[in-house]
Amino acid sequence: MKRRSLIQKSLAIGSMASTGLLSHRQLFAAGPVKVGVMIPMSGPAGLFGPSAKNCAELAVAEINARGGLAGSPIEMIVSDAGVPPAEASQAALKLWKGQKVQAFIGMHDSAVRGALVGVFKGQVPYIYTSTYEGGECSAGTQVLAETPAQQLEPVIPWISKERKLKKWYLIGNDYNWPRDTNAMAKKYIAAAGGSIVGEEYLPFTTDNFDASLAKIKATGAEAVLITLVGGASVGFNRAFASFGLSDTVTRLGTLIEENTLAGIGAQNAANLYSSSGYFAAIDTPAAIDFAKRYTARFGAQAPPLNALAQSVYDGFLLLEAMANKARSMDPQKLEAAAKGVSFSSPRGQTTMQDRHGKKDIYLARADGSGFKVVQVFKQVGAGKNC
Amino acid sequence: MDASAVTLALNLIYHIAVLALVGLGLGIVFGLLGVMNMAHGEFIALGAYAMLAVQNHGLAPGYGVALAVLGTAALGYPVERWLVRPLRSRPLDTLLATWGLSLLLRKSIEAVFGRQYQNVSNNLSGTSTLLGAEYPDYRLLLIVVIFVGFALLALWYRRSPAGARLQASVANRPLAQAIGIDVDRQACVAFVCGVASAGLAGALLAPLVRVEPLMGMDYLLDSFFVLVVGGLGSLSGLAAGSGIIGGTQVVVSTISDQTGGYVAVLLLSIGFLWLRPNGLLARR
Repeated sequence: MKRRSLIQKSLAIGSMASTGLLSHRQLFAAGPVKVGVMIPMSGPAGLFGPSAKNCAELAVAEINARGGLAGSPIEMIVSDAGVPPAEASQAALKLWKGQKVQAFIGMHDSAVRGALVGVFKGQVPYIYTSTYEGGECSAGTQVLAETPAQQLEPVIPWISKERKLKKWYLIGNDYNWPRDTNAMAKKYIAAAGGSIVGEEYLPFTTDNFDASLAKIKATGAEAVLITLVGGASVGFNRAFASFGLSDTVTRLGTLIEENTLAGIGAQNAANLYSSSGYFAAIDTPAAIDFAKRYTARFGAQAPPLNALAQSVYDGFLLLEAMANKARSMDPQKLEAAAKGVSFSSPRGQTTMQDRHGKKDIYLARADGSGFKVVQVFKQVGAGKNC
Repeated sequence: MDASAVTLALNLIYHIAVLALVGLGLGIVFGLLGVMNMAHGEFIALGAYAMLAVQNHGLAPGYGVALAVLGTAALGYPVERWLVRPLRSRPLDTLLATWGLSLLLRKSIEAVFGRQYQNVSNNLSGTSTLLGAEYPDYRLLLIVVIFVGFALLALWYRRSPAGARLQASVANRPLAQAIGIDVDRQACVAFVCGVASAGLAGALLAPLVRVEPLMGMDYLLDSFFVLVVGGLGSLSGLAAGSGIIGGTQVVVSTISDQTGGYVAVLLLSIGFLWLRPNGLLARR
């Protein structure tokens, strides 16, 4: 009997330690804080679900090891945001009212963001992290997402000078992010002394880019600004290279991350640049260490790191900074604490300003198998959003 | 002719050829079995992933083509025998069953290869100058392969005894059975050939297109439009459908934009379904 109870006890302790219960009880007096993580687990962006979930898990483990949110451990609840906005907001409402979630972190499209903002009405802290078109300024919402101002304002003059680019062709999918991005891009291109020789928006169903490529060739464009997303970007860039355009025409994208580049293929990525707040290839000590911790926790076969997934990690860091400054999880206090709060992440230093993050922007060039950062733009503001 | 006109003409020919290649499998299966194979696109995806698997093992692309054809054929046999045949004469049920199969195949691809985009490299990535226009070599090769392939196929279908038996089974199944043609076997061969041609299409297109688990859906839709316009169950219908759909899309998207091209294709398909549901060159 004695031996059996010993086995039972050690099993119980073992399972508690493995689920993290033991460490929480030792570290924390208060009960856990539930944080809702809205990320695409299905749909076209579902590709980013697994890596985003990993980044969230890593953030929660690290923050809990440091003492949690204002003294309480985080318990994260992941919900699929790759669904229509009405469904996503229903799911968020259930988490908030049903499961008593006290803060949300979201990496998803703007339609879902609009629906969530409408549900939350500033009553619960919400941090939005994926690259977007700018202009979100609702109460209770903090935005870590890069805006076109951040991704293009410093980059277009630099690359125009570096590669001697005058004639730009703008191509994107037909929805608000590409259109709003291009509206900003036109100003920056004009300011840099360039001109627009073509502008085109393709439906999501497009899988034949021949007509667009013929136009790019006919207009004599020297640079193409790409705001096609996911599979459309892969298909376009492959066809672009197959026509031999990549040797003479520079490509710049604001949503070409590691997965998209892998699909495009190294042989099709000559003179392809990408502007983003994060690349797996950033070679600062903080970014290298982050990638090491990710690989150590999830293994070498884990879904690769990319800007969208990593933004969820930064979302947790912002929540941590807000909670520790406010010393509370009260929505009003967190909202007040968000103003001017600063935190350091694998991306560098981020400071909140007008509900947006002021941060470093990286310009990377596709190089052999991955990206190589060629220029860092320090502390770029998100532009006018409020 | 100036270079842009030559490029347009080549784009047109290429697009029509690819539509015919992609639509062939769906056309064979519908024409001979009366089954709308909703998993058609996934068999194309399997062909592309066969190329990827071979590339990942460092083998020559030729093995990929062989693996794509043999692999999809080997999968096609049990599907016909135990999924399609028991549901014969129940078109709606075969639609649902093959739709279920498409989900299963998609998820299986995801489980084995992951959700991410894959790159099948192109060993013929140069371009050639043709009448002043620069055009990708691989596309030129593909155009030739598809045209020769279809010419041989048409010849075989019209002239060979096996082709005659197939034509008989398509035209009048009970009568064909009465004169001693094993129609069940014909159907099985047709299904296996249909999905193997989809696998071949996937393998040939893989170096040019995006490769990911959901890629099949585009091809199913394209093939469906081709068959709606061209009529189901004949090679000439397939050729006519590819020509009209491909031509409309390329020409309209060149003179207006891609949205216009897509709208034109949709309107055309709706028009045909409404006014000429049997297509241009109907089987019956």
